[in-house]
Amino acid sequence: MTWAWFALVEDAEGADLAATMCELDGTPAGVLAAWRRRAKPLRGARRIHDSVLDPDGAAAFVSLVLPPPGVRLPFDDLAVQQARRAVLLDRPADAVSTLLTDASHFEGSVSAFRGADAAARAARDPFARVFPARVLTLAAGLIGRAPAPAGPTIERYGSSQPWPGDRFG
Amino acid sequence: MDLSPGSAFPDLTLPDHASNERRLSDLVAGDPAVMHCYRGWWCPKEQAFFRRLVALQDALEVSYVRVVSLSVDPPPVAAAFRAGLGARWTFLCDPDRTALELLRLRETTDTVYNPYVPAVFTLFPDRTIHAAYDGYWFVGRPTAGELLGDLRAIQRAIRPDWPAPTP
Repeated sequence: MTWAWFALVEDAEGADLAATMCELDGTPAGVLAAWRRRAKPLRGARRIHDSVLDPDGAAAFVSLVLPPPGVRLPFDDLAVQQARRAVLLDRPADAVSTLLTDASHFEGSVSAFRGADAAARAARDPFARVFPARVLTLAAGLIGRAPAPAGPTIERYGSSQPWPGDRFG
Repeated sequence: MDLSPGSAFPDLTLPDHASNERRLSDLVAGDPAVMHCYRGWWCPKEQAFFRRLVALQDALEVSYVRVVSLSVDPPPVAAAFRAGLGARWTFLCDPDRTALELLRLRETTDTVYNPYVPAVFTLFPDRTIHAAYDGYWFVGRPTAGELLGDLRAIQRAIRPDWPAPTP
């Protein structure tokens, strides 16, 4: 399976992978959790590309983009297309996945950055121009490094697949 | 090294413009690809050909087509050139010229930079070469129409649903 379920929760009991998050001032900000299974574990869970998940992944700064309740945009919306182009154009993040629940709508993203300028790069996340973003610190054990797709293709490989999965099946 | 149509382009492993080790087979994966060897940022003919590719990338980005450009430029130079062009595809870097020697694509007339000879290959997903273009003379390089024609032929051969599914 090329995708997993992903959610921001208070308690990650039952999740396959999880890591705590904090605001930049150290205030706890919940737990990001992932479930590698077909059945949806929580009402609010979204699909994430499985390639970004890694139990050995180091701590990182993340940009977590989530739409306001009840709001979503088609993946084909020009703003969402342009954000994908900007991701390919910029220095690659350590990992990027869009989030979705159905076949056609962009419902957020998560991008992980490491290195000296990681927080600044997280703050420049192109998807933050589409929906509100939070820059947070993420503990180890959830998100690894996933190479950027070759480009310039920005299409999804099947309607169930979060971008940037780069192959069918 | 046989780089003629029907041969397999070698599965190179090289750093990309962000210094990540990349394998060509991972970059090409399941799609047709344009493999492009270029002299370097300094060559006016390369700049002109890159403008042709950049003009094409809006079509390629919705065509399930990959582009990979390869030179002897080190990653920081390739990254700066890529950013200046506005190219959204992967640049591979061979500053040690190991792949250049393997491919036998060194431009022997340039003993200052020892660069790649300009060459363009259109590839099937398994890296079988569909067409090869010798770009030493600029007009030897593929036009946008020729590239799209190659990519259409490859897609027609590999996509089982090429004929649109209709009732």
